[in-house]
Amino acid sequence: MTLLRQTTHPQPMEDVPAHDSWKTWFELYGPKLLLCARQWTRSAADAEDAVQEGFVRYWRHQRSLGGEPLPLLITSVRRAALDLARRDARRTAREQRAEADADGVVPVFATPLAGDERRAAIESALRRLPPEQRDVLVLKIWGELTFEQIAAQLGLSPNTAASRYRYALAALRQEMSVADCHG
Amino acid sequence: MDDELQQFEAELKQLRPVTPSRELKLRIEAELTASAGESAENPRPFWWAWIALPAVMATAAALALVVFMSSPVSAPPTGAPAVAVSPGGPAFKPVSAENVLLEAKDEGLVTLADGSAARRVRQSYIDTIVWKDPAGRASLRWSVPRQEERVVPVVFQ
Repeated sequence: MTLLRQTTHPQPMEDVPAHDSWKTWFELYGPKLLLCARQWTRSAADAEDAVQEGFVRYWRHQRSLGGEPLPLLITSVRRAALDLARRDARRTAREQRAEADADGVVPVFATPLAGDERRAAIESALRRLPPEQRDVLVLKIWGELTFEQIAAQLGLSPNTAASRYRYALAALRQEMSVADCHG
Repeated sequence: MDDELQQFEAELKQLRPVTPSRELKLRIEAELTASAGESAENPRPFWWAWIALPAVMATAAALALVVFMSSPVSAPPTGAPAVAVSPGGPAFKPVSAENVLLEAKDEGLVTLADGSAARRVRQSYIDTIVWKDPAGRASLRWSVPRQEERVVPVVFQ
């Protein structure tokens, strides 16, 4: 019985700033969650839906678990994105929205110092990556997860996650080189 | 990784994801406020929780036994099977928490206390939380069914 009680009340394991408002958390994690969600959804609007649902689920049911919030938040958003994809009733509207931003008019990165063209080229190259490589790259670089956390998230071994990351980086650089050559 | 790849990686890290829209923040605020103010979310146990509970307890007990058996023999706890809280024992940390949506039932329109119309949706989930001991290979998985009732305001045009 002692064990069961501990598992249902894991609060003491980590110091979680429980007094923080959800807005503070959203300021901190919202951009990363949105970028991750964009990889698992067909449109920017769907990504927002998934972030909303995943964030609210986390805030209501999982915040008290303690531990690092970002991996748990990403899991929650990913699950919400998968649920969203399964809801047949919304398929038509979703596909219409996907078509609306299929040409990449909704940027996923804020413009960096190097300029908007470079940002657009990277986004475009990122979209052309195989999804399994893109997932690992996004979770590693912008989600700031470890390979172990990525592996747990995607159901891979940490070694596979690490090798996919290297392949993804090389492939993205290759895509950028090709784009540079073609102006 | 070669230097060029590392430079490219550093460049990617400088890119900042876009900030979520104000509308998204407002939507989240509305949902969190609604649930806090009206108890729109009303988790209830349902019948198969009683079937799942023994299975959960059995799994937890088996895992506790595994963890207990793998801990050093030189530190025998006296009596209490405290696995996660014993000072020298494994320090479990949550590594994943999932809410799997099994079913969503639209129960139709209802009238709220203020006379406004709303749609009531009942959703059934399985919540699964996994803890791991970073120092060892022990892990603990806890799954429990949950039912959620959501009341979504309806606007007639």
